Amino acid sequence: MSDGVKTILFATALCVVCSLLLTMAATGLKAYQRENALVDRQKNILKSVGAVSPTQSYTGEEIKALYREHIKCVTVGQGGEVLSADAAPAETMPLYLYEEDGATQFYIIPVNSRGLWGRIYGYLALETDGSTIAGFTVYQHSETPGLGGEIENRWFQRNFVGKQIVDEDGNFVSIGIAKGAVKDAVRQDLQPHYVDGISGATMTGKYLTEGLEDILKTYEPVSVHFRNRGMLKLPENALVCQPPS
Amino acid sequence: MSTAVVKRITRSETYRTVADALWQKNPISKQVLGICSALAVTVQMNTAIVMALALTFVVAFSNLIISLMRNVIPRNIRIIVEVAVIATLVIIADEVLKAFLYDISKQLSVFVGLIITNCIVMGRAETCAMSNPPYVAFVDGLANGIGYGSVLVGVAFFRELLGSGSLLGFQLVPDVFYEWGYMDMGLMLLAPGAFIVIGLFVWLEHALLKNQA
Repeated sequence: MSDGVKTILFATALCVVCSLLLTMAATGLKAYQRENALVDRQKNILKSVGAVSPTQSYTGEEIKALYREHIKCVTVGQGGEVLSADAAPAETMPLYLYEEDGATQFYIIPVNSRGLWGRIYGYLALETDGSTIAGFTVYQHSETPGLGGEIENRWFQRNFVGKQIVDEDGNFVSIGIAKGAVKDAVRQDLQPHYVDGISGATMTGKYLTEGLEDILKTYEPVSVHFRNRGMLKLPENALVCQPPS
Repeated sequence: MSTAVVKRITRSETYRTVADALWQKNPISKQVLGICSALAVTVQMNTAIVMALALTFVVAFSNLIISLMRNVIPRNIRIIVEVAVIATLVIIADEVLKAFLYDISKQLSVFVGLIITNCIVMGRAETCAMSNPPYVAFVDGLANGIGYGSVLVGVAFFRELLGSGSLLGFQLVPDVFYEWGYMDMGLMLLAPGAFIVIGLFVWLEHALLKNQA
């Protein structure tokens, strides 16, 4: 057998063995990984409203119990109304409600934004006044660690708390990420609508600003309901949204 | 222990391999390899420990597997074969972390995947596994992983203690110190802090080795 043939045979055999091992690892562990990802998303929903502490560690069961106790996931239509189970319009949006003692304390919008290297997934929680941001979290992204990747760090996310998505006259302005510190980079009257940017991550900030604006615009009808009434009317048999998978 | 036994141990090949990897030729503090990940994952002790375990697993088993195949690997594609073996092991390690240590795996982010490009793993495969029997290669891999890990955990110890006032996530600096005006050293949490601490480790090792000689 010539050397060339031997080399090709060896390479083929190696590839087959390696791919078999990888397939086994990937499929064998998939169930565990899915479970972890699910708990992680539930944890991020709870984290966006400050229901779990970012410095403490929780077991999967604790997270699931807290989620079951406080979070209600409903489906809203384009007019911002909560859909009942028998209505089935084409365009629906999931919305999470944080409830304490039977009353809605916060509403939580799932975030799916463009980033520099891939999509950024997270949650944006708002208070029932329909304007004040209660928290922002990111559970999945592909930004550069140490630069854009800082969006998952506490110092960045904490900046969102207390910011406003509408101005004093009640007009929608969204929330943006400043280039640098807000107090230097943004006009005085716009400061309640901006958070400090990350140095070295201008593009991530730009895309996330655009993404958040799009999402907040889509959910604006919901926010208007909250602004006018401080609550959403839930129909008797609200259409429960599919749990995140 | 009698001196004869000590002598027999210290003269054995295994002892030399282990001592070299842990001390005289330590991958980080003497050969200055694997610095990228050492900067990135040493903000906290627990990420450093998990990273050290992952790398030790990869380098030990890649050495073992490559050494077992060393007589049949065609010379002209040996680098590709080494990388394929290493990459497979790294992805298995990454999948296991995602399944059982999800939070830590999220913190380590790309750095587990980047073990593939860690010079230590490739270097041991080329210089040791290709020319030594499986037992020697495995011990060499294990020792190099531990040598890398020991510096990693050492650096993380100082960075977490000085930068966050805690170790393994447990707060060590009492709250009352903060009330008195003690402040954590923010520099330690940033990459330059790691550079300085690793630099000090390199200096210490060189100084101690000079004294021995």
